[in-house]
Amino acid sequence: MREIAIIVNGAKRVVHVEEDTPLVWVLRDTLSMTGTKFGCGIGVCGSCTVLESGKAVRSCQIPASEAKDRSFVTIEGLSPDANHPCQRAWLEEDVAQCGFCQPGMILTACSLLRDHPAPTDEEIDTAMSDSVCRCGTYPRMRKAIRRAATLMREKKS
Amino acid sequence: MIASRRAFLKTAALSSASLVIGFDSRGLFGAEKKEAAQFNPNGWVRIDGDGTVTLTIGKSEMGQGVRTSLAMILAEELEADWSKIKLVQASPGPDFKRLGTGGSFSLGGSWKPLRHAGAAAREMLIAAAAARWKVDRSACTAANGFVLRKETSERLGYAELVAEAAKLPTPADPPLKKAADFRLLGKPTKRLDGHDIVTGAAHYGIDTKVPGMLYASIERPPWEGAKAKHSENDKASKVPGVKKIVPGTNGIAVVAENTFAALKGRAALAVEWEDAPKDAFDSNTHTRRLEAASRESGFITRQEEPPAGTGAVARTIEATYQYPFYAHAPLEVMNCTADVRPDRCTIWVPTQAPNALQEAVADSLGLSVAQVEVNVTLIGGGFGRRLAVDYALEAAELSRAVKAPVQVLWTRADDTKHGHFQAASAHRLFAGLDANDVLVSWQHTKAGSPHNLRRKAGPEAVRDAGYYQDLSWGVYDVPYAVPAIETRYVSVDVPVKHGPWRSVFAPSSVFSREAFLDEVAHERGADPLAFRLALLNGDDEVKAGSLTIDRWRLRRVLEVVREKSGWGGKEPAPRHGRGVACNVYDGDTHIAYVADVAVDPAGVVRVERVVAAVDCGFVVNPIGAEQQIEGGILWGISSALLGEITFRNGAAQQSSYRDFQVARMHDTPEIEIHILPSEAPAPFGMGEPPVPPIVPAIMNAVFAATGKRIRRLPIQAGELKA
Repeated sequence: MREIAIIVNGAKRVVHVEEDTPLVWVLRDTLSMTGTKFGCGIGVCGSCTVLESGKAVRSCQIPASEAKDRSFVTIEGLSPDANHPCQRAWLEEDVAQCGFCQPGMILTACSLLRDHPAPTDEEIDTAMSDSVCRCGTYPRMRKAIRRAATLMREKKS
Repeated sequence: MIASRRAFLKTAALSSASLVIGFDSRGLFGAEKKEAAQFNPNGWVRIDGDGTVTLTIGKSEMGQGVRTSLAMILAEELEADWSKIKLVQASPGPDFKRLGTGGSFSLGGSWKPLRHAGAAAREMLIAAAAARWKVDRSACTAANGFVLRKETSERLGYAELVAEAAKLPTPADPPLKKAADFRLLGKPTKRLDGHDIVTGAAHYGIDTKVPGMLYASIERPPWEGAKAKHSENDKASKVPGVKKIVPGTNGIAVVAENTFAALKGRAALAVEWEDAPKDAFDSNTHTRRLEAASRESGFITRQEEPPAGTGAVARTIEATYQYPFYAHAPLEVMNCTADVRPDRCTIWVPTQAPNALQEAVADSLGLSVAQVEVNVTLIGGGFGRRLAVDYALEAAELSRAVKAPVQVLWTRADDTKHGHFQAASAHRLFAGLDANDVLVSWQHTKAGSPHNLRRKAGPEAVRDAGYYQDLSWGVYDVPYAVPAIETRYVSVDVPVKHGPWRSVFAPSSVFSREAFLDEVAHERGADPLAFRLALLNGDDEVKAGSLTIDRWRLRRVLEVVREKSGWGGKEPAPRHGRGVACNVYDGDTHIAYVADVAVDPAGVVRVERVVAAVDCGFVVNPIGAEQQIEGGILWGISSALLGEITFRNGAAQQSSYRDFQVARMHDTPEIEIHILPSEAPAPFGMGEPPVPPIVPAIMNAVFAATGKRIRRLPIQAGELKA
């Protein structure tokens, strides 16, 4: 058991966990922040995605010892009230079905749009195809990503 | 007698729904009655003194949008203010004795009872207002949470009427609204859970947190029924956070203070399982058994003798189709949290079968059903897997053993290897053509396996035509007008667990039927779409078992995809092809697809575009209906082109999305959906119906692109190499 400080959604959190505990379990079990989902534990589904410096990372692949002193944004911290362009676009395009994978998908889309403010179909495929939605919400996700890109551009101008 | 699955679900849905009539104000919310004035005329509707409208949802939400669509039905008749309603999820209890979600029956089965419940409440509120104004009921109307007095435009909010309405008798036969007056039903309506989903606030079973809870992971036997020869637990016990190691019914459980400690403890177990017997289940061997069984005579599920004057069969076409095992693979792995005390048990669980689960847990703990409280959470993907209750029995067993609340969490590998799979099947088909090449004879034998989730049927089980028809939707209800039809079912046992999977028994049947029909069309040099339309030109209504097939509806959806897809247009590019397929799901939802595919030189198939036409009766929420079609298409792409489950030595060989691949963003085609206006007075199901016809539409397109007929799913690597 070790004392480890991580920054989650801008707040410093000091946790007492085993060093090898993956970040997903620190978030979910230790901090009771369940918006970050467990889906596979081996980095193939994307449900546990969180952001670090705006970039999507898989919290099941980051042991607490490595998460130390790093800063992460989870779905709970993406915006004060679902007003991030990706969240708005997700609601406007009615993306979600069961919704379980969607926090990870939304954060993955945020990361994509940071790197590619006007993504092509190929860029969307590349960024999003590491994640799984068994309900098959991909057609609407694609539309939502385009809409979010537009919303972000409007915000800037 | 064993109730067929379909009959079971229909009975379940109707029973829970019909209870509404019997509810009274001392029922579901009795405990809260002592508080301020409250109006709850039935189990579905409650209005508090502050005007809050709370609607009870009796179906599990697993992505089909049912919490929104059922609320729409209630709110429409209640004339509630949609922006102010609250939802509660029904729990099993005296008022909800048959909760269950499946069979694409939520909307069809809830339509009348929920409208009735909403209308009864609305009539009582109107009656209360009319009494206060001392006018006739006919002088009043209701809208948006108010009762209005027509002549004076006075109005009373529902909150003000709660106390008086609660004293009135519940009308037995309240008037229902006319479809033309609907404000909500039929209008695109956003998910009530949408905000929670995009903010991470939505709570699934896996998100359950209970004070003092422990977490468990179970090391499971590699093959069904394997016993541990030896188990070394010392290392596992020493993993920090591990509290106890419990040998249980389904394996050796490690119970710990947190999930990761449980997983780590499990990994530290050294268990030697007994070797699988030589004849342990092997899916290759099973494929051969099914193929042989498909040549047996089996049970006749439909037989139509050719009328006099039918041409004699001059030549036959025959083929065998093979369908594999599939996993459900929902994103949320199986899980359940249980808190067992000496005299009661509380459960939090993502399940499609709350009452069956309650009964099974009560039975396993030796408690009465009333002592088991089941809280149904949101479900991160059901697809039929969560009609089984194995995860709940595990949680209850462990909570009792460690005397603390326990969450059992399956790993992805547990979920992939220990599912209740879609069972493999084989289909043998014959077509007989007369001297003029007219299709005069159709034979289709399905060799498959009834579900083995429930208790095995005893010898007294009635296995009549209805029973076998239920196992072969898509076979016996072939919609086409062929003079001689004979369909059969051959039952083959499978020792691994298998159960309902999205659209249950239909996918293999519709795949083989629609692909084989394509073979017959090509053999005759006919256009496959025109050939189908010609075969649907008989009587509009055809009886098959308990179902009525409406050929007019099926022709109509085919005609729409013909037009919208540009069927028969310009010649496709090399290794590009277009295919069509259609189906009537369980006698109600009618769907036709045209799929365009491209096959690259390596043989990789890409579905480029799908045009869908659907007649699903009255459409409650067009957004929900479209989502289900999109999801059904992606589900079909997964099963046509991607993962399957195979067994060696009794064990499933796949363990995650890495080796059981499902569709991803890059597999997603352009999708064009046409939901046809329907004069049907009620909604049909939509969760399952979009699945069965998409696979044959894709495979028929693959044939058009490559000249190769795929008769075994999924397409194997290299099979279509140029």
